[in-house]
Amino acid sequence: MGALSVNVGNVSLKSPIILASGTCNFGRELAEYYDLSILGGISSKGLTIKPRAGNPGVRVAECDSGMLNSVGLQNPGVDYFIENDLDFMKDSGAAVIVNVAGHSYEDYIDMVNKLNEHKDKIDALEINLSCPNVKEGCMTIGSDPAAIKLITSKMRALTDLPLWIKLTPNVTDIKATALAAQEGGADAVVLINTLMGMRINIKTRRPVLTNNTGGYSGPAVKPVAIRMVAECSQVLDIPIIGCGGIADYQDVVEFMIAGASAVEIGTACLIHPALPVKITDDLKKYCEDNELILKDLTCTLQRW
Amino acid sequence: MDLKKEYRIKLVSKEFLNSDTCYLGFECPDIANTAVPGQFVNISAGTVFFKRPFGIASTDKENGIFYIGVKVVGKGTSEISQFEPGLMVDCLGPLGNGFDLDGFDTVILTGGGTGVFPINFAYETLTALGKNVIVCEGFRNASQVILNKPSYILTTDCGDCGIKGTVIAGLDTIDISDPAKTLICCVGPIPMMKAVSAWTGEKGIKCLVSMEQRMACGAGICLCCTVKVKDEGPDGFKNVRCCKDGPVFDSTEVVW
Repeated sequence: MGALSVNVGNVSLKSPIILASGTCNFGRELAEYYDLSILGGISSKGLTIKPRAGNPGVRVAECDSGMLNSVGLQNPGVDYFIENDLDFMKDSGAAVIVNVAGHSYEDYIDMVNKLNEHKDKIDALEINLSCPNVKEGCMTIGSDPAAIKLITSKMRALTDLPLWIKLTPNVTDIKATALAAQEGGADAVVLINTLMGMRINIKTRRPVLTNNTGGYSGPAVKPVAIRMVAECSQVLDIPIIGCGGIADYQDVVEFMIAGASAVEIGTACLIHPALPVKITDDLKKYCEDNELILKDLTCTLQRW
Repeated sequence: MDLKKEYRIKLVSKEFLNSDTCYLGFECPDIANTAVPGQFVNISAGTVFFKRPFGIASTDKENGIFYIGVKVVGKGTSEISQFEPGLMVDCLGPLGNGFDLDGFDTVILTGGGTGVFPINFAYETLTALGKNVIVCEGFRNASQVILNKPSYILTTDCGDCGIKGTVIAGLDTIDISDPAKTLICCVGPIPMMKAVSAWTGEKGIKCLVSMEQRMACGAGICLCCTVKVKDEGPDGFKNVRCCKDGPVFDSTEVVW
């Protein structure tokens, strides 16, 4: 085992670096830039039971130190994914994390049942209870601890695949939603999805995004994500995957100290597609220079 | 297959073509040697978050230089227009699918705005191959006219130079002897491309358009820059990526 290998519950990853859902499609385009097998994992584009065209109009608004997106879960549907993309992800050499989104409890259950039939090719299911860009499901369920616990326990009964619950930061108490996922039987939580935001064109007085609002990501959200990881690590028994604004190896280390067992990188890869290669190399050097193995960093925050 | 790279490249030349548009040359032999007309590059733009996409305007293979045109429309393009030669920038490219120019006796290149830059690259490429090329460009007025050549058909909205009217007025002056052997490539604002698409449809001429949409990654991974194209599925359309599936599309595929 290398200095970068980590475990998220029973899932062993060769590196803590996972490509975040929605910022890597299914990995094919990034494989044009680097060998994906260096990654700990790839989290697929958020999938739904039926194909989704996504939101119309303008889907991205640049912000200071980040972006708003309102893609709206455009995806080819889970059946197409299983037929056309799952084997590619499996063959990439990175752990296969399948991101599952839905509009109702039934959607999530149907998705888990379908994917469970292919569990030999899947390392974990990342349950998206946090997309801010669709009208039903996702964030609506993900804001309510009782609903999170219920949907997680329903999925738990259907599969022994690891269930990672991706939570929204758009709540008053992230500990309550994270604990609800744990009580429902989740194997890990992913913190955080995007923060809801808006930009306005001051000439037209209309929102820049045709969807009016979108999810804010990028370096600006990093302190929010780190705070939430640190808070949840104090109350959870299950592991945390940290996500939000990671752009270099120091960010990875910071998230791990706060309590993350692994991390997801997203928006930064939209600017520098091969960034995970540099971060991986830098993390190796960091471990050598400091004579440590990375997983020993998790939950080592020394609070004042 | 060789892996694609993100390049760190040097700005080697800059000139202003008019008050708000400049022409920049960057040293990058890989891009200069492999780019085809219609492809674009994504270039880091000072302090703004994302790179900015620009259609490639010309290549100098001998010196390993490619050129882009930048019209100042916002903060990113404003910062780029203030770059000085010697500056190093991050760059991805060449990106996207270019024009498939093979198999036609005559190629008509038409467009306006910053579309004249990719048209310039297509013109240089086709004339170097000895092809029959006709260029018809439209501008708002004489002060906006850039990269114009005497052989080009020129139109202006106000008529202060060239033919008064849109590029359609210019296209109407062309004698098209064999529509089946004629290709039109159009790069310009959406209303212009829509009008040219309708014009070519009436005449039975194949038309390729280079679509534009607000982009984030340029590499096909974020699904932000989608374009609506016709589809046989229940919706009658699907959203495809401008950056990766385009930017060049057959105009009959686009849902205008």
